[in-house]
Amino acid sequence: MDKKNPEGQTGLVEHVFKKGLCVTCGACVDLCPYMHYHDGRVTVMDKCQAEDGRCFKWCPRAVPPGMNTADAEQMAAKGIGPFRKIVAARACDEKKRESSQNGGMATALLTLAMETGMIQGAILTDRGDDDAPSGKMVLSKEMISAFSGSRYSASGALSALNRAVGKGVEKIGVVGLPCQMEALERRHQYYIKKQMTDQVTLKIGLFCTWALDYRKLAAYLEQEGLTGTVIKCDIPPPPAEIFRVYTTGGTFDFPLPDIRQMIQKGCSVCTDMTSLYADISLGAYEGREGWNTLIIRTETGEKLVDLAVSKGRIEIEAFPEKNMSDLDHAAQNKKNRGADASLKMTEGEVGS
Amino acid sequence: MKKIFQKNGNINLLLQGNEAIARGALEGDVSFCSGYPGNPSSEIIETLADAASHLPIYTEWSINEKVAVEAAAAASFAGLRSIVCMKQCGLNVASDFLVNLTLSGTKGGMVLVTCDDPSGISSTNEEDARVFADLADTPLLEPSTPQEALEMTKWAFDLSEKINNIVLLRSVSHLSHTRSVVRIGELPENEKKARFDTRNPFHTFPVIAKHNIRHEKLKTAETIFESSSWNPYQGPEEPELLIMACGSAWCYVLEAVEIAGLTGRIGILKLGTTWPLPKKIVRETLRKCDRILFAEEVDPFIETAIKAYAADLGEEAGGKTFMGKASGHIPSTGELNPSIFLNLFEILFGLDLINKTYREKVGEHLDGVIFPREFGFCPGCPHRGSYYAIKQALAWDNRDGFISGDIGCYTMGIWPTGFNQVKSVHAMGSGLGIASGYGKLAQFGFDQPVVTVCGDSTFYHAGLPGLINAKFNKSDILLLVLDNSATAMTGFQPHPGTGSTATGEDTEPVDLEALLRSLNIGVDVADPYETEASAQKIYALLQKKGPRVLIMKRKCALVQGKQGGFPYQMSVNHDVCLGESCGCGRYCTRIFRCPGLIWDKENMKATIDQVVCVGCGMCADICPRGAIEKTGKRN
Ligand SMILES: Cc1cc2nc3c(=O)[nH]c(=O)nc-3n(C[C@H](O)[C@H](O)[C@H](O)COP(=O)(O)OP(=O)(O)OC[C@H]3O[C@@H](n4cnc5c(N)ncnc54)[C@H](O)[C@@H]3O)c2cc1C
Ligand code: SF4
Ligand code: SF4
Ligand code: SF4
Repeated sequence: MDKKNPEGQTGLVEHVFKKGLCVTCGACVDLCPYMHYHDGRVTVMDKCQAEDGRCFKWCPRAVPPGMNTADAEQMAAKGIGPFRKIVAARACDEKKRESSQNGGMATALLTLAMETGMIQGAILTDRGDDDAPSGKMVLSKEMISAFSGSRYSASGALSALNRAVGKGVEKIGVVGLPCQMEALERRHQYYIKKQMTDQVTLKIGLFCTWALDYRKLAAYLEQEGLTGTVIKCDIPPPPAEIFRVYTTGGTFDFPLPDIRQMIQKGCSVCTDMTSLYADISLGAYEGREGWNTLIIRTETGEKLVDLAVSKGRIEIEAFPEKNMSDLDHAAQNKKNRGADASLKMTEGEVGS
Repeated sequence: MKKIFQKNGNINLLLQGNEAIARGALEGDVSFCSGYPGNPSSEIIETLADAASHLPIYTEWSINEKVAVEAAAAASFAGLRSIVCMKQCGLNVASDFLVNLTLSGTKGGMVLVTCDDPSGISSTNEEDARVFADLADTPLLEPSTPQEALEMTKWAFDLSEKINNIVLLRSVSHLSHTRSVVRIGELPENEKKARFDTRNPFHTFPVIAKHNIRHEKLKTAETIFESSSWNPYQGPEEPELLIMACGSAWCYVLEAVEIAGLTGRIGILKLGTTWPLPKKIVRETLRKCDRILFAEEVDPFIETAIKAYAADLGEEAGGKTFMGKASGHIPSTGELNPSIFLNLFEILFGLDLINKTYREKVGEHLDGVIFPREFGFCPGCPHRGSYYAIKQALAWDNRDGFISGDIGCYTMGIWPTGFNQVKSVHAMGSGLGIASGYGKLAQFGFDQPVVTVCGDSTFYHAGLPGLINAKFNKSDILLLVLDNSATAMTGFQPHPGTGSTATGEDTEPVDLEALLRSLNIGVDVADPYETEASAQKIYALLQKKGPRVLIMKRKCALVQGKQGGFPYQMSVNHDVCLGESCGCGRYCTRIFRCPGLIWDKENMKATIDQVVCVGCGMCADICPRGAIEKTGKRN
């Protein structure tokens, strides 16, 4: 073992926390008593001495880019990465769409996956109501729609997966951000190495440009006089430059530049916009309200989408070439930005 | 009735130094006794509290040392004899009153006993309280043995009445806690009536005149000292070395001189009355020898005074060589012992006496038998739960917060047993005062949350002003009162919140919650055993501003033990215990560290030490695997 880079919590603290790079995915939380998620942040509770820890092995930020199978693949992928199919899609159930972020695809696909027994439980991010959003294990399909809509702050949701493991649920679906999909990939590699069966059987990844720090956001919203409980947030297409929050007390707009101040530092080195490691990636359909951009990346994803179409749960349309190249461009841009930022950070370290 | 309280004298009793002081007070016809607990002084008042149920005296634990002296002064002003007892740190608290009291003077014999703690074995410091004798112009007596402690205490009342001023008596840990055979005297039986003579007020004005009177009183004391028998010389008329010793140090010197076989070569002046110096005696003794060694605990108190006096004597004193703390012959810190003197005699007399100190020899014998132990909270101690909860809340909060600590068992929060959360400890109640300062630093960019902890007893002693200061100045302060309903560290003396007095009489307990609410400060209560719920409350409170109080309420583990014990029989399920593996890493024994939890090296699993574990059940909640199981009542 490399003494300078212990592959346990010490390494995690050294490479992630000290650099402020944690993106609050939750992969390291609730595996043990040492790492906690509380009020929107992942924190180090006590010092662990293990030199071979899952926290380090699964963290999407712990290993320098390119040092791990997952990184290597991600670095090699261009734009939106490898995929089987890309379509425009939305849920047929209008009610599901209403409470959803875009086309309600995440909700619709998960509901179906649970119905068919593809998954027994789903790891979702709750609304948090007056607290920070956090991960929950959902075991009934009726409950899934209660989790619709996007929280723009990171939520440590993978901690719910860690809590769920070993409790008898063998097939689990996860909805999460690209960093969370990457953590799941690392976790999967670890399971293969240890010859264990991965419980995660479906990964629905979201598109993501950045996520916010919950505590900063909450303090800002309170200071700016937001009332009511947050239902969902949205960033209307450019050139609006606003951040819109829907609450039980109404709709509030805030200047996007203000909001960008609260982006997690760890998001700046992120190179994945479209969840490369998901079975299915979901984002907004720019310019078409109530629709999703849907990328099918794996056989598992394809089967589920096909079934959903044949059962009349979702409708799909061709994704125009122009949108496709815009999306690919945007994805590549994020990748370049992230790679540059992490290069700068390493240079800074070498320099200092 | 215990023998120590019997009327008749002329029998031998095995008494602890502090008990001898108490008996001395009784033989000295004391009526009023007060004090504040603190090692190594507590047993004096405990004994006198016990005496109060057999003899016509009054004894109280006061709220703090200053109030203790004030209350005892009232008795003196009303013509009664009084004694007041404390540890060295306590005299700091009392000193503001003391320096004024010695200007106004006293009437009934009044004795203040300070028990100093060289090495700070159970104190935050090892200060030498004798400096207050100089500061306040108070006569000072330093007994060396329990017998002498008894007699000096008794004598001190007469001295006090002769000069109409308070007299200080200084003990140290080794005298207070040693036991030896003591011949006791008879208890007086005088009818007493307390009455304040309104024609003779007690105040400090006019200051200069009173100051002069105070100096006169000290002169009188000096004359009395010089004709007293407390300062005997023993040894040859022309010794090769003259040792001037006082207190316990005299015992060490005597022992070392005997062991070294230097009885015929060394002269020892035992000073029992150390302030003001019995100059005549010192002057005569100085003539015997030009090499002088000082032996005293903590500061060079007699050393400095005698050297100054020798300077006054000028040519008459001649060229002397003084050895002591200033010259480096005696360590300037830490408790003394006979080995220190033996080592010195080897050098001064060219002897080869010892190759190893007593401590080293003991160390060798016990090596491997006794394993190293760190300071730790008892099994089942609620403070462990409180600190665990604070640690959790501060880690969640993630702004590099810390605890401003105070004096009590919970001072151990500076060590791993309290997860190293406490970052400052000074004097009684200081945690609050310091926190009230941090709470005003926001304008200078200070953004770390600070929690201050204070025990219930400490809070009454000196904590309240700090809290009121925070309220008054709108400081952002979060106080956790660690309310364990006991003055546990010093031995379970009652305090205003416990509902009984020093003598065991019922009294209405101070309602801490109501007291705090009357200040219009938000107050909440949590149970230290419910660590998760407590942590949630602390975290929520950390996010708020202004003064806030959370009372962590749970009886001291030792009190719970006495009152029927704990609910659980604990065990570790080795099939479930993760041990060193990822997911735990010996969390219970490495982080939580209750001494009831031990590491089974053979099986590489945690296990319960059934002898040590009391069955509080706290650890069951912190094990990540639920491997620590609690079942029914232990038998
Ligand atoms: C932080 C964040 C940033 C995003 N950035 C972009 C972007 O730049 N471009 C873009 O096209 N799309 C982005 N999305 C994705 C978009 O907002 C929608 O989530 C996506 O289009 C799916 O919509 P839907 O109607 O199918 O979702 P729904 O059916 O409404 O379901 C939403 C699902 O998202 C999960 N979820 C909610 N909040 C979080 C969270 N904070 N972390 C993890 N999971 C969460 C819920 O568990 C739920 O299952 C972002 C999402 C998030 C959470
Ligand atoms: S990025 Fe995820 S795995 Fe890494 S430290 Fe943060 S929460 Fe833990
Ligand atoms: S008993 Fe619990 S906390 Fe202790 S070592 Fe075993 S699993 Fe870890
Ligand atoms: S139950 Fe656990 S925490 Fe309580 S005394 Fe026993 S070992 Fe210690």
